[in-house]
Amino acid sequence: MAELNETIHQPVRLRIMAALVTLSPGDEVEFTYLRQLLDVTDGNLGAHLRKLEEATYITLNKVFVDRKPRTFVSATLRGRAVFAEHVKALEEILKSKK
Amino acid sequence: MNISPTEAEESLAAIQAMVQKTRRSISSSGAYLFLIIWGCIWLVGFMGSQFLPAPINGWLWLVLDTIGGVLSAIVGIRMGQQVRSTTHNHSGKRIGAFWLLLFLYCIAAITVAWPVDGKQASMFIILFVMVGWLAMSLLYSFTPVWVGLAFTGISLVGYFLLPEYFYLWMAILGGGGLIALGLYIRYRW
Repeated sequence: MAELNETIHQPVRLRIMAALVTLSPGDEVEFTYLRQLLDVTDGNLGAHLRKLEEATYITLNKVFVDRKPRTFVSATLRGRAVFAEHVKALEEILKSKK
Repeated sequence: MNISPTEAEESLAAIQAMVQKTRRSISSSGAYLFLIIWGCIWLVGFMGSQFLPAPINGWLWLVLDTIGGVLSAIVGIRMGQQVRSTTHNHSGKRIGAFWLLLFLYCIAAITVAWPVDGKQASMFIILFVMVGWLAMSLLYSFTPVWVGLAFTGISLVGYFLLPEYFYLWMAILGGGGLIALGLYIRYRW
């Protein structure tokens, strides 16, 4: 039986992971674009990304583009696996209701 | 950790909505814009070919292709700033080189076949573009194969069966079709 993941279950982190796993493995999304996609503030997104990074579910890649600092975010293989298990657990709970 | 079935349902709905929003916003962002840009160019360009005299029409295509090239480059650069691929960087350069070589081969083919009239030159270009489209479909799954085959079929039908209205045919079904496909990817995919 699949297990729910407390770190991922938080609504903003759940949406962050859903967005990141939609990308192909190896693809990374820019911080500002992710913020617009999720419709959250800089601080809010930053805090949740740190939590996910600590759990090794995502990686933050800080680079300079045209001399400006940019942060790119991607889901790790572990993050993808944990998210898939979380989704499976949610589906099992829903099935058990029916 | 225990949650109610209602909460599970809400979470799954939130995931589904986010996946869809991401696909539309990120994954399809380039594809739909490229299709709409080049659909508009085909629509205006082929309309011009049908109704305008040859010298004006030549300049019209030159201007339209330049605009299309610039807009495509802007869209490509913007896409690269939003989503980067660490695994496909080399593929991007190869794809760019492939389209450049295909363009050069198309010019070579038209030169070899010269003299050709406007319709024949257009058909050469359409066939080469469709070869590129099918290569992208089969190798990278960027666009459905059947769409490329359908466009090729539509173009050939117009060329052989409706030579008088070939440009109009291509403007409406070719250009219009690309725009419709772009809008479909944007709003329904």
